[in-house]
Amino acid sequence: MTKEINDLNLPDDVRYTEDHEWAKQEADGIKVGITDYAQDQLGDIVFVELPEAGDTFDKGEQFGTLESVKAVSEMFMPISGEVVSVNEALADTPELVNSEPYGGGWMIVFKPSDAGAIDALMDKAAYMDTLKGLE
Amino acid sequence: MEQEIRKTALHSWHTSHGANMADFGGYEMPLWYSSAKDEHLSVLQNAGLFDTSHMAVLLVTGPDAHGLLQLCFSNNLDACVGLAKKPLSPGRCVYGAYLNEDGTVIDDSIVNKLAEDEYMVVVNAGMGGRVAEHLGAHQGDRDVAITDLTDKVGKIDVQGPMAGKIMQKVLAAPEVVLEKMPYFSFKGHFVESSPLADAVRLGNGTPILLSRTGYTGEFGFEIFVELAHAVDAWEMIHAAGQDFGLKACGLAARDSLRGGAVLPLSHQDIGDWPFINHPWPFALPFNAAQTEFTKPFIGDKALLGAESADYTYAFVGADLRKVSTADPALVIDAQDNQLGSVLTCVTDMGIGMHEGKVVSIASPDMPEGFAPRGLCCGFVKVTAPLTPGTVVQLKDNRRKLKVTIVEDVRPDRTARRPIKEML
Repeated sequence: MTKEINDLNLPDDVRYTEDHEWAKQEADGIKVGITDYAQDQLGDIVFVELPEAGDTFDKGEQFGTLESVKAVSEMFMPISGEVVSVNEALADTPELVNSEPYGGGWMIVFKPSDAGAIDALMDKAAYMDTLKGLE
Repeated sequence: MEQEIRKTALHSWHTSHGANMADFGGYEMPLWYSSAKDEHLSVLQNAGLFDTSHMAVLLVTGPDAHGLLQLCFSNNLDACVGLAKKPLSPGRCVYGAYLNEDGTVIDDSIVNKLAEDEYMVVVNAGMGGRVAEHLGAHQGDRDVAITDLTDKVGKIDVQGPMAGKIMQKVLAAPEVVLEKMPYFSFKGHFVESSPLADAVRLGNGTPILLSRTGYTGEFGFEIFVELAHAVDAWEMIHAAGQDFGLKACGLAARDSLRGGAVLPLSHQDIGDWPFINHPWPFALPFNAAQTEFTKPFIGDKALLGAESADYTYAFVGADLRKVSTADPALVIDAQDNQLGSVLTCVTDMGIGMHEGKVVSIASPDMPEGFAPRGLCCGFVKVTAPLTPGTVVQLKDNRRKLKVTIVEDVRPDRTARRPIKEML
């Protein structure tokens, strides 16, 4: 892979999933995106397909697709919930997913059906262990 | 038996320049460096540098080399150059395939005529042994020697409109070398002892075989160089290219560029089915009426008698979304009837739709402010003929895409432009 694990940007203030997504509690809900590892593996993101506000998904259900030069891949709900807002900027600038995976490259904000469920997601250390297992 | 993954002479250059590496044809090759999209675009607008040393090279020599290739190679070496179908002369090369008796494809290839009785055959990664075995099996009592040079030669492709200007900087005598070099011709030799070696040398004296061919659809060269000189040659070209926007490119860009250029990938777009009814009739020795072949060769009877053979077509989508051929992806009509399967589906990042027409960022008449985001394209194989303009749907586990059957995809490609316009 391009980046070594120690070169990856893995913030302390988000939670992680085995699908290489991150989730962060914000004022209006939980914000979700893909990790630096995921964007690095996928390469150039050229198209992002997102749901609409108001759509509801169960935990583990597919909520969108990411199209890279190499392949198409799914994004899955880390926790059950209702979509509050989606990142409209990705329609014209999908490359934000590569350049700012935790910033301008976010995917959706959703209202979780169980407010405490985010605590069950991995912290940075646990996610690092998952990545080391992939080497 | 699991084989150890192989590395080209440039492997450490790739990894030290941040390449994302992957297995291709038994070799660990760069998929992209920092951005496959930027690499694709650089070949359309400037130039790209590709390590293609994984490809296999055979030397077929001897008084009966011509006869053996005429039997085994799908194109007619006596009638293949230009519209007039002249014989292949020294310094010219031609595309074709090696077929089984049943018309199915062993591999495709470019055959370069080095001299009378001396041919250099370039086949795909890992296929040198297989094609050499096929030629050997049909050699009979012919006086031919087949030598596998794959592990002795490196291959570097410089592709894109600036490729000629870059080669001017690195060749010892560019004004001589680059004069009169039509598409599908070559000069020089990478072996110092060859009488051809003096024809093309790099500035540092390294002899190369310089061929005006490629796999991107764009103007450029394929360079064959002795393995010991491959890294030096690569670094020299890479350095000279910096003034011309040259980027090192990986296999992802190679795949998306060749998709837009309607070039097949062996074992994916051509393969275990009869090599007929496809967008590459120039690889077969058709007569003018396209009804008969102008020479006998292995597989010919199966091709002409193949009434139930499938049809392969290029397609272009309405936007950049792809289907995954790994699913696999099917071709269906508006009533959900299955028509066939998708062989290749890639996104050509340099093209887009403008007023119902495909336009490239390299098109001379590109509309003001046109910023294409790419179109999906590739090949489908269907059981009944389709006419260009037909809309079909591609369906994988994820989505259905409407695409149009076409004769060509990316417009305004530069591969065939006269070299004097490109220097």
